[in-house]
Amino acid sequence: MPERDVTLDNEVGLHARPAAVFSKAAARFESAVTVVKSDEEANAKSVLSVLKLDIRKGDSVTIRAEGSDEQEALSELVKLVEDL
Amino acid sequence: MNTIEGVAASPGAGVAPAVVLANDQLDLPSEPVAQRDTEIKALSDALEAVAQQLEQRAAESSGELAEVLEAQAMMARDPELAETAGKAIEDDGTPAATAVVGAAETFAEALAASDSEYMAARAADVRDVSMRVARRLLGAPEVDLAELRQPSIVVARDVSPADVAGLDFEVVKGLATEEGSRTSHTAIVARSFGVPAVVAAAGLVAAVDDGVAVGIDGDAGLVHVDPDESLTEELNLRGARRAQAQQELASADVAHTVTSDGHEVELAVNVGSLKELETARTMGANAVGLLRTELVFLDRREAPTEEEHAEMLRAMASLLDGGRLVVRTFDFGADKPMPFIEVDGSSDSALGVRGIRLARAQPELLEAQLRAIATVAESGANIAVMAPMVATLEEVEWFVDRARDCGVVDAGVELGVMVEVPSAVFLAAEFAARLDFLSLGTNDLVQYLHAADRREGSLASLQDPFAPALLRAVSAVCDAVEERAWVGVCGEAAADPAWALAALGLGVTELSMGAGSLADVYAAVQAATIDDCRAVGQRVLRAEDASQARSIAQELLQ
Repeated sequence: MPERDVTLDNEVGLHARPAAVFSKAAARFESAVTVVKSDEEANAKSVLSVLKLDIRKGDSVTIRAEGSDEQEALSELVKLVEDL
Repeated sequence: MNTIEGVAASPGAGVAPAVVLANDQLDLPSEPVAQRDTEIKALSDALEAVAQQLEQRAAESSGELAEVLEAQAMMARDPELAETAGKAIEDDGTPAATAVVGAAETFAEALAASDSEYMAARAADVRDVSMRVARRLLGAPEVDLAELRQPSIVVARDVSPADVAGLDFEVVKGLATEEGSRTSHTAIVARSFGVPAVVAAAGLVAAVDDGVAVGIDGDAGLVHVDPDESLTEELNLRGARRAQAQQELASADVAHTVTSDGHEVELAVNVGSLKELETARTMGANAVGLLRTELVFLDRREAPTEEEHAEMLRAMASLLDGGRLVVRTFDFGADKPMPFIEVDGSSDSALGVRGIRLARAQPELLEAQLRAIATVAESGANIAVMAPMVATLEEVEWFVDRARDCGVVDAGVELGVMVEVPSAVFLAAEFAARLDFLSLGTNDLVQYLHAADRREGSLASLQDPFAPALLRAVSAVCDAVEERAWVGVCGEAAADPAWALAALGLGVTELSMGAGSLADVYAAVQAATIDDCRAVGQRVLRAEDASQARSIAQELLQ
């Protein structure tokens, strides 16, 4: 199962609009996508779970994908977070 | 009769029967259900129905309210919310309504535990979503405010964004809530529709029964339960006067308002979307003094193209039907991070790379706006354009050059800048020599004059528009420009009739405000004489503190 680390560099982190954009993007893939912040895991397709992680500017998270389109999911979501 | 004190959140007054909203209270069943599969299916249908209802309300709303409703629709479709609730049904036979409220509560508690105000607001949002789903599942009687047909005053602990979005202000004569603040959705929406509102009225819900007559005083921040005859008469009279003023306004040419001694003043509105302008038009506005272009494109991942800018401007200009549209170029800062902005700003949003500083770092964003403005102006629209956050003469010249290169000057568009950085006050004469107008952004100007962050609630007293430093800055700008340019105000201060009249006395000729304040300012300008305004203007300049300046200016309203 592929995974990558990425650091949040934007002002609001994964809150507000960025969290919604991220979860919507994750939901487009068939693969299960997980976000991990300091051992806490969240379903990336669930905006509530992503918000619960309270990911802020400067936080480092791991994104994992598992399924038929796991490679595309991972590269698109990592790019999305980097571009925030 | 019983009077409850709250916070005045939207001006006006009136008396009507109360409609008490108790959508946040519900008896949840605990008896386990037999048909667990059917119950899970019912849950998923209810979640989807609520998601669709929220999406529809979002589509009918604009700005921040629309954003909150879209986020709530996403919560209703959240796979983890459905799964957590579904598991409680499957494992324990928990009834669907109870299961969804319980599942939402686990998320809400986690969100509310955060120290951020933003997250706490999301906790309230997810609780509201689950209550909507539960009501639907239980067939519980829901006071749907969208269904109100009789004149009413809505009384509630708080009114959720979805309920606010459904309000019909033809029948809702006032809003009174136990919670909330001047900046909550209830207050913002009430002001934009010109309906009186009182918020933060402690003990309100317990004191009001459904159907009881309630008098609302949105000027003093009071709710009167079962008011006596003379008070009822007074409140109704004030409400009727206001309604009459609103009606007069709808047919008046507020862009050419005249004082009682014949001095012309342009009254205009601040808007951030086409929808907001449509509402403002019904409230009498026929000119825009501040179009916040960054708000129009807030949900974008890619920079809007020239054609998209032009399309938006054409739609607005055609709504205005010849009235002037003052376009402010993008004022994105670190507080409004956008995917298409590549510049890394400073961490302090108020003092960082924003406004024209950002335009200089990414000139293609500004040029697309300017070219669109030129195109639309050439086809006959009455447009002016101004740049935000200008601090130096060199920035003014850079802006004028870009405008010339993009054809804006040839198209006959007036050029201006915002005066919101204190340096601009001292350079106003030089700015005016190169421009057609200056527009005072009083919210930012007062925060920079006092070096007090306006988001910091404990420093609110330093944001007072009657602060002597701000009034003297307004006067200095008007004196420095002489006749070379016109001077407008597009900050919150222009919405206060007393402040607005004092500003006219200091030399301002255009006032732009939220549409809800137009009626009051219009009535005040019509009743005043410019000579009185000038005399008071000279006296407020000598005031030594804000309260002194305020009481001097308020003499103009008597």
